[in-house]
Amino acid sequence: MKVSDLSHEARIVASSMLDAAAEALNPTVRLGVTGLSRAGKTVFITALVHALTNGARMPLFRAYADGRLIGARLSPQPDDSVPRFDIETHLKALLEDRKWPQSTRRISELRLIVDFGSETFLGRRRGTSHLTLDIVDYPGEWLLDLGLMGKTYSQWSAETVAMSRRGARQEFARDWHKHLKTLDAAAPESEAEARASADLFTAYLRSSREARHALSALPPGRFLMPGDLEGSPMLTFAPLDVAADAEPKPGTLHAMMARRYDAYVDGVVRPFFRDHFARLDRQIVLVDVLAALDAGPDAVSDLETALVDVLAAFRHGRNSWLTALFRPRVDKILFAATKADHLHHTSHDRLEAILGRLVQRARETAQFGGAEVDVLAISAVRATREATAKRGKQELPVIAGTPEPGERSGDKTFTGEEEIGVFPGDLPADPNVALAPGGYRGRAETGEGDVGIIRFRPPKLEGPWGKTRLPHIRMDRVLQFLLGDKLA
Amino acid sequence: MSQKPRRPETFTLDDPELVFAEQQPDVIDLMAEPPQNGEIAEVSAVATATTPRRSRLGAVLWTALGGLVSLAFGLGVTNLIEDLFARAPWLGWVGVYFTVLLVIALVLILGREALALRRLAKIDDLRARAETAIRTDDRTMALGVVSSLEGVYSSHARTARGRASLAREKTEIIDGADLVRLAERELMTGLDAEARYLVAGAAKRVSVITAVAPRAVIDIAVVGFTAVSLIRRIADVYGGRPGTLGFLRLLRQVLTHLAVTGGMAAGEGFLDQIVGHGLAAKLSARLGEGVINGILTARIGLAAIAVCRPLPFAARSAPTLREVAGGLFDKSPT
Repeated sequence: MKVSDLSHEARIVASSMLDAAAEALNPTVRLGVTGLSRAGKTVFITALVHALTNGARMPLFRAYADGRLIGARLSPQPDDSVPRFDIETHLKALLEDRKWPQSTRRISELRLIVDFGSETFLGRRRGTSHLTLDIVDYPGEWLLDLGLMGKTYSQWSAETVAMSRRGARQEFARDWHKHLKTLDAAAPESEAEARASADLFTAYLRSSREARHALSALPPGRFLMPGDLEGSPMLTFAPLDVAADAEPKPGTLHAMMARRYDAYVDGVVRPFFRDHFARLDRQIVLVDVLAALDAGPDAVSDLETALVDVLAAFRHGRNSWLTALFRPRVDKILFAATKADHLHHTSHDRLEAILGRLVQRARETAQFGGAEVDVLAISAVRATREATAKRGKQELPVIAGTPEPGERSGDKTFTGEEEIGVFPGDLPADPNVALAPGGYRGRAETGEGDVGIIRFRPPKLEGPWGKTRLPHIRMDRVLQFLLGDKLA
Repeated sequence: MSQKPRRPETFTLDDPELVFAEQQPDVIDLMAEPPQNGEIAEVSAVATATTPRRSRLGAVLWTALGGLVSLAFGLGVTNLIEDLFARAPWLGWVGVYFTVLLVIALVLILGREALALRRLAKIDDLRARAETAIRTDDRTMALGVVSSLEGVYSSHARTARGRASLAREKTEIIDGADLVRLAERELMTGLDAEARYLVAGAAKRVSVITAVAPRAVIDIAVVGFTAVSLIRRIADVYGGRPGTLGFLRLLRQVLTHLAVTGGMAAGEGFLDQIVGHGLAAKLSARLGEGVINGILTARIGLAAIAVCRPLPFAARSAPTLREVAGGLFDKSPT
């Protein structure tokens, strides 16, 4: 363990103890909405806040169904140096323009105070109880960095290079590979080489992320979404072709890259983790399984790699008073496959099974630690309706909605105006098939596949948007699982 | 899955083959009959198959005995009417008239009893299905359970709102186990409160009366009478409406339930009650007797709730002895 690791831990402990003191007066839940880019974090947070403040159809969210939930109001965010989550703009885009929010470019915070009537012995005597809910929104790309915290530069280099030589990635990494061959790790350090390599590496990461291939395991995240680090020297490093246990010699290119990598991990990744993830009480892991399924088995297994790396950074398990004071653990974690409205509900079981397989390891670790774990297929804002249709002798379960402009199915391209019915194909019944190379045909290669997920625009809702209730799938289960006991 | 994976397809909205899922009804038909589809019938067959079968010898014994008794009865009546005709024809006709009346009344009563028995069996079956639906998280089965529940409570005015909101939720995307739990919360909440209130009231009444009653015979009579009426009323609350035969079956179930759970209940709650609140018992043996009789009644009531409730306790907690018998100690005459 390095000194930086120790000070990292010590700072987390110090802030945990401060929190514990504040918690005694004012019950707070720090909800960790974790998800890679395009998993639907912003929509989820918007829908969650909207449901708590404006209400929704939520028969399974007990506090709400029993009529004990009085309401929720926004409150100034705890950290003045971080902007507030811009819920008004997101809602307006969703309901008036019928557009999903833009991808998040920087971090934002939201504090929500929930007023409710408690049913506990003490709560009944207190009258109205309050629960403070802290939520953070951030670019999903940055989450990928959490996996870097446990790795040295050489380990990361070896892994990244090995991965870039597999499957579809080879294509994207060609230019970078060419340049990589010219580099010698033992050569003297050179700023020009480092910069050229970093640029090519970034280009490789960006093209791997392109929509059809939907690859996910692409750290470091700031290369894809630099935020306020645009052009910073911290981002001028790239992997070298070195062995995982290689020790850099002073003065070499290898040493310079390793130094910058360490600076990146210590100066960017660790503070990000410490400020926003180290002290979570509840966690929801949003995963866009459908986009990966649409692309094919390569994308699905890539998604698994990314999730395993990210989730290893968290501590899950039941809290004792000691851990609660020094280093609280996430005691409830929900894995949610988002955008479940893009499938008919009869396919949700298979979707949940595939997600369960993807996060299997994290799930088992969390359960072993005593944390409560659940896997759900959800949709924060439901964009489709369900129907059935006959095609030949088969009766197909169909969803109907308005596809986003430019979405394609077969040789048809949609304008974003007409409403259509879609049967997205049967998901693999065995989750392992979804991961196995060649297990089924995705749309990444030819545009035709066994599964075709078409992205839909947000639903057309009537009434003044300030008062509309958002349709959803299983958001009440989500709220009950994450907050139910805190609102008892 | 033997079925071949189906390929993606798209449809235009004006495709005549495209049928949208039924819209949620704003007003529900309170008298709607539950649909009887094959799957549910199959499930209930499984449920009944697992209930223990009675001895076949016993069945032979009872059939033979029943046959003999009915023969004797028939012979007696025939002889009586023949005798009556022998004495005076008009007397014979009066006899025939009464016999016909007797037979008609008997058939009607038997019919009613059979209906009541069926209702009870349906509730047992419903509970078994609800348990399975929760365990397997099977949506189709849960929908069947909810439909049957709507049938059971279709004429129960106080569950109207719960039934209306259930009918709305049925068309939404909601998992099997959740749907059954939701049904339990929507329909059982009011009924549970009513049943608890009945049990608590009966327990208190018994404890007071037996504490002041001068003779043990009266104690026994009061406990017996209260227990019988309590079981009947609880069955009524949950929609069982047992007839006499049904009641006897219910009584047997309640007693079995008591015998099974008795040991455990004595271990966790009963002793606690006696030791914790034992002051009354120490002060007066008579009063103590009253308390014990009250507790006995409360336990009979709890067993009756467990037997009559058409859904298992999944979303709501089962009533405990402390809840229903707690009143015995609060305001008992000390």
